[in-house]
Amino acid sequence: MTATTVSKSKVGRRRWWQRDSRPPDRDNSTVIGHSKATPYLFTLPAILLVAALLGFPVLYGIFQSLFRAPSLGAPVEWVSLENYADMFSSSDFWHSLNRTALFVGGSLILGTGLGLFFSFALFQVLGRLRFLRAVTVAPYIISNVAAAVMFRILFNSQFGTINRIIEFFGLDGPSWLAKPTLAMVVVIFTQVWTDLPLTILLLLGGLMTIDKTHLDAALVDGADGWTRARHITIPLLAPQLLISTVWLSYSTLTGLGVVLALTGGGPLKATQTMAMEMYTVAFRSLEFNRALAIATFILILNALLTLAYVGIGRRFEYDQ
Amino acid sequence: MTDPAPRDENLSAAPTAGSGPPVKAAPEKRKGARGERAKRTAKKILVWIPLILLVLWTVTPFLVTLSVSFKQRAEVFADPGIIPSNPTFDAYSEVLASDSFTTSFVNSLIVGAGTTALSIVIGVPAAYAFARFRFRGRNLLLLFTLLPRLVPSLGLMVPIYRLAVVAGLLDKRLTLIVVYTAMLLPLAVWLMVGFFQQIPREIEEAASVDGASLWGRLRYIVAPLAAPAMITIGVLAFREAWNEFTLVLVLTNTPGKRTLPFELYLMQGIEGIANFPGEAAFTILTILPFILVYTRIEKYVVAGLVTGSGK
Repeated sequence: MTATTVSKSKVGRRRWWQRDSRPPDRDNSTVIGHSKATPYLFTLPAILLVAALLGFPVLYGIFQSLFRAPSLGAPVEWVSLENYADMFSSSDFWHSLNRTALFVGGSLILGTGLGLFFSFALFQVLGRLRFLRAVTVAPYIISNVAAAVMFRILFNSQFGTINRIIEFFGLDGPSWLAKPTLAMVVVIFTQVWTDLPLTILLLLGGLMTIDKTHLDAALVDGADGWTRARHITIPLLAPQLLISTVWLSYSTLTGLGVVLALTGGGPLKATQTMAMEMYTVAFRSLEFNRALAIATFILILNALLTLAYVGIGRRFEYDQ
Repeated sequence: MTDPAPRDENLSAAPTAGSGPPVKAAPEKRKGARGERAKRTAKKILVWIPLILLVLWTVTPFLVTLSVSFKQRAEVFADPGIIPSNPTFDAYSEVLASDSFTTSFVNSLIVGAGTTALSIVIGVPAAYAFARFRFRGRNLLLLFTLLPRLVPSLGLMVPIYRLAVVAGLLDKRLTLIVVYTAMLLPLAVWLMVGFFQQIPREIEEAASVDGASLWGRLRYIVAPLAAPAMITIGVLAFREAWNEFTLVLVLTNTPGKRTLPFELYLMQGIEGIANFPGEAAFTILTILPFILVYTRIEKYVVAGLVTGSGK
């Protein structure tokens, strides 16, 4: 009795990070014996590796964005926010921000639209999902570069399948990757192709958790398919839509592989997204500290966008 | 949802069936049943159209690439059909004979195997400790391990490159292995912690009472039970190492150390006139190992994919 009170007051005094989330009766430390050092020995390699190769480099990068080398190869000097000031006054940066907005926006619309369309369809045939699920997930095992090669062949102006189909209808197929607007379309399609498996799986998982009684109630009230989707299914899917939006946005905002391998930012810088701009400034101009300012900006933008999605998502969720 | 039309039909039929007097109800009902069957057929067609589109959406890029890989260079333009009129293995023998493919294939294998092994060796004990032991700072340390999952590789490119230059670790396979392992660890730990928590504690307690040591329990009880989760991590780690492009792009600079995606990327730029069959064959050979075992690994890929995002 006394022991319980003591341990309780002890728990109360602990800071949040010292507390264990499990209730006391599930405490197994007494049964499964281990020395005090064992947990630290077990976790230390993982923590050190993650801290040294993920945590530290990012913080180091943000810190280094406050420095600059006066000339190529010279030691860096503290310049406070000058890199950021230069970034915001450069027309290349604003151009790339504009391209990124198109790229992220386009991918979100296409990815979410196709994701909803395909997951609703898959939901109708849950029993025979095995083969279709395997097909759905296949793009996930392809590298960005391989996807870029595939789509370059698919959209080739002379022999690509897309243009063959267009020609079949008696029209002239455009040279997709040579036209600024169309190149962006191809890039968006390729990016969405590589990202769609997760979107579909997330939304399908959401559909499977929806309580059928809501839909049946709506059916009794005479709601047609579209009305039910619009007013019941999609609001009930809000949590999954939110996760998939956050993830798609993150993946496109920070995605470099597809753009670099497909267009390299061209034609006429039409697909020069911020990720490409960062890569160009760092590894073509070799101005690493300026590139780090862009990278930091991308990280902050990603965090702000995530907060915005969460805010918007809350409005669509049912109050429960 | 996808089939508004048949629903409308059903709804317009429903009031008719209900409104008639009871005597008339029987024929009306039969009519309703016929409508029901028509509705079902219409629904079936309407359901399968999007599913066929889904298959086309995913498979077309593969098929088109496969088709081009069996053509002669000149034939690509002259014979744009999906089925090559004179299928040839020329592109494949050309790629297989090239140094760029064989060397990078071996490199990818080494880096993939190394990343897989290291992820499991480091990730599994950490996850086990987080799931089973109670210790000071557990939650904080777990947070430190999982939070870096949010770091995009784009944010790592420049800092890791600069640090590797300073430390003289550029152009080493081991660097790639360690970096990929670090990138995978948050996901691996997250996945395994959930898995270990599902293994009943009582099994281990019973073994402990019978005198099994911690190592004995890990080796003979936990490891076999956790095998599916470990395979999932292995598949994800191998896939990451095999496909990763942006970091290998900056961390290697000599031909002997590049992995497959880097060589495939270079292949597009090196030749003046694009060698489409060569690129296509290279692509197919790159994904072939995955395709061959795809039916076996697919469920692990799905498990990893869904867990990795559901934070």
